[in-house]
Amino acid sequence: MSPFKGGVHPPEEKALVRDRAIEDFPLGARYSVPVQQHLGAPARAIVKAGDAVRKGQALSEPQGYVSVPVHAPTSGTVKGVAKVVHPVTGLLSPGVIIEADGKDEWAEGLPLRRDPFAMDKGELLEAIRGAGIVGMGGATFPTHVKLNPPEGKTIGTLIINGVECEPYLSSDHRLMVEEPERVLKGIQVAMRVLGLDRAVLAIEANKPDAIRVMREKAPGEITVSPLSVKYPQGSEKQLIKALTGREVPSGGLPMDVGTVVQNCGTCAAIWDACSAGVPLIERITSVTGRGVRNPKNIRVRVGTLLRDVIDFCGGLDGAAKIIFGGPMMGIAQFTQDIPVMKGTSGILVLTEKDADIGGYSPCISCGRCVEACPMGLIPSTLSRLGERDLWQAARKSGLTDCMECGCCTYVCPARRPIVHFIRHLKALSRSAGSKQAKGA
Amino acid sequence: MLIATLVVGAIGAVCALILGISLVTFAVKMDAREKEVVEMLPGANCGACGFAGCAALAHEITVNPEAPMACPAVKEDTIKAIAALLERDMGSLEPAVACVRCKGGPQEAPSRYEYVGPRDCRSAQLVAGGPKVCQYGCLGMGSCVTVCLFDAMAMGEDGLPHVNIDTCTGCGKCVEACPRGIIALVPKTGTYCVSCISEDAPKDMKKICSVGCIKCGICADVCPFEAITAEKGKAALIDQDRCRKCGLCTGVCPVSVITGRTVPEKARIIPGACIGCGICEQVCPTEAVSGRAKEPYSVDPGTCIGCGLCLAKCPADAIERYNA
Repeated sequence: MSPFKGGVHPPEEKALVRDRAIEDFPLGARYSVPVQQHLGAPARAIVKAGDAVRKGQALSEPQGYVSVPVHAPTSGTVKGVAKVVHPVTGLLSPGVIIEADGKDEWAEGLPLRRDPFAMDKGELLEAIRGAGIVGMGGATFPTHVKLNPPEGKTIGTLIINGVECEPYLSSDHRLMVEEPERVLKGIQVAMRVLGLDRAVLAIEANKPDAIRVMREKAPGEITVSPLSVKYPQGSEKQLIKALTGREVPSGGLPMDVGTVVQNCGTCAAIWDACSAGVPLIERITSVTGRGVRNPKNIRVRVGTLLRDVIDFCGGLDGAAKIIFGGPMMGIAQFTQDIPVMKGTSGILVLTEKDADIGGYSPCISCGRCVEACPMGLIPSTLSRLGERDLWQAARKSGLTDCMECGCCTYVCPARRPIVHFIRHLKALSRSAGSKQAKGA
Repeated sequence: MLIATLVVGAIGAVCALILGISLVTFAVKMDAREKEVVEMLPGANCGACGFAGCAALAHEITVNPEAPMACPAVKEDTIKAIAALLERDMGSLEPAVACVRCKGGPQEAPSRYEYVGPRDCRSAQLVAGGPKVCQYGCLGMGSCVTVCLFDAMAMGEDGLPHVNIDTCTGCGKCVEACPRGIIALVPKTGTYCVSCISEDAPKDMKKICSVGCIKCGICADVCPFEAITAEKGKAALIDQDRCRKCGLCTGVCPVSVITGRTVPEKARIIPGACIGCGICEQVCPTEAVSGRAKEPYSVDPGTCIGCGLCLAKCPADAIERYNA
């Protein structure tokens, strides 16, 4: 039986880095840390040019509840708060430029030695927020908000997402194989915050070594659940459907069906934050694709420039497209002068053959996208509405339910950029909405 | 054959009778003038008036004696005709036209990546904020041209949209369509606008565009009507309510970023009425007025820019405008 409707089976391409052990990226000379690395209210830089900073020191101050700080990746001097290209929006946005002094000294008091299992819920949430932890699967939603559901929402199930269904990427895979304790301890802390006594760790069946390691190490209250291989198995709603049989209502959140989903990398960061007070200043990321000479899995500081990462991996070789994230949902980049962020789960370098850049033709109504859509939408109709700017009609056809997983675009024989049309409609709908709000 | 003809004929007659009765009984009572008004309106149903279409506006202005003529697309004489038909004052809208506030085509302002998606500016804007290096500049994919209902816009060879002032009705569809807010409406009588909205510092802007506003503020200094504001970190902006279409700014702008069509109007002094006070000579920004005290002054049409400053200041109402 299929765990959820629709979905596709793109070539996995994970063999490029799947079996390569995590390498530590050497300390760089210069870091550029974007202030906005989360979804939600902006944060404000609190350092200025000339300030001396130490590793783990906060560089920004959150503005509002759904907001987190960023921290210095190493010790050094602040060169300024400059406008730098933001890898997600592509626009110039404030980033703290730090020149490393090479000493890599921790900020005062770090790392701490404390027992998270002796801390109460409020202290743990504060530690998680203070460490600037966001969803590390790529969506970068602040974790403390997700772990603190509002009054009236009962959470019964904690799901840990170790699915990593995007082709090419293996960062979560390597983390689970090489550092299972961090992940498992982090899951236990998350359970403590939510007041739960069990959790499910979901791993796609194409990572047998991760499943084996996790089964060996996991305590009784954490069930390791292998899932069939299908994209987008790692999407929250599809994951919940596959594991619990519950369907998140349209416009709803996982908490509406009593679940919270956390990425396994986020759990490892939660453990570091709660046990040692170490903020989220580094992550594991896969540098992969046939356009880079030596694909690797690296542990890299947030703020490291893409250019340096590419150099470390032997440089480019016939690269046509660089993507932050995976090939299905990642974001194409136009420059190498951008930093690695908290949500950079992978750096994918595609060759011209793999990138397959080209034009598109009219919809032939074959219906393949309808079969592929995991949300039960009719992408062909939405794409045609997109060509005509008809966002009102699109809203009636479930526009806002689309999570932009890319299955429709992947299967389209006319090579139509369906997700792009849908994003266009969403943007039109948003701007009409904000205009209305202004008028009222 | 005969029976069939009769039967069909009879059915037809009955139907015609029913239709005839319902035409009278269920007739929608409509002001006869409303139909005429609809015919006088442009018929583009662009929605710029705020109503669902031309028919809806026609209904409103016919039944509601207070409703103003909200259509920006009709010409002055049409408004007069509608006013005559409805036997009331319709007021008048100052006709406006669209102005594209960017001069940086692909030659002057380069791109930072190759965009291969749908040819639509709003679509392109979604991909990393648009391919152009300048975050304020025209993306050049012609969304404004596509939405124009009056064929008043076209993409030029320079990769930028151009407005045909004669056919543009100032409906504002293009203003809405532009994802970067580059298009503004300006009065048709003098289309002065600063063709740049960049908020980049001049030194940063110069690296990415050779034709943008350098924020020097000379235009603001020279404007006799304080119609131009040159705030720090923003391109100069012309306040259309204050602008008197003198065109002084276009002449002094070192980067020629201010565009506009000068109204061929000049000032002249009525010799009989002039009291020879000399105020006009003092206020004239171009030193076009000359004369001796207590004697009638005169204006040099070659130097006069038609700004109208002297008209406003003349204590004897001795200056008039004329079409040169």
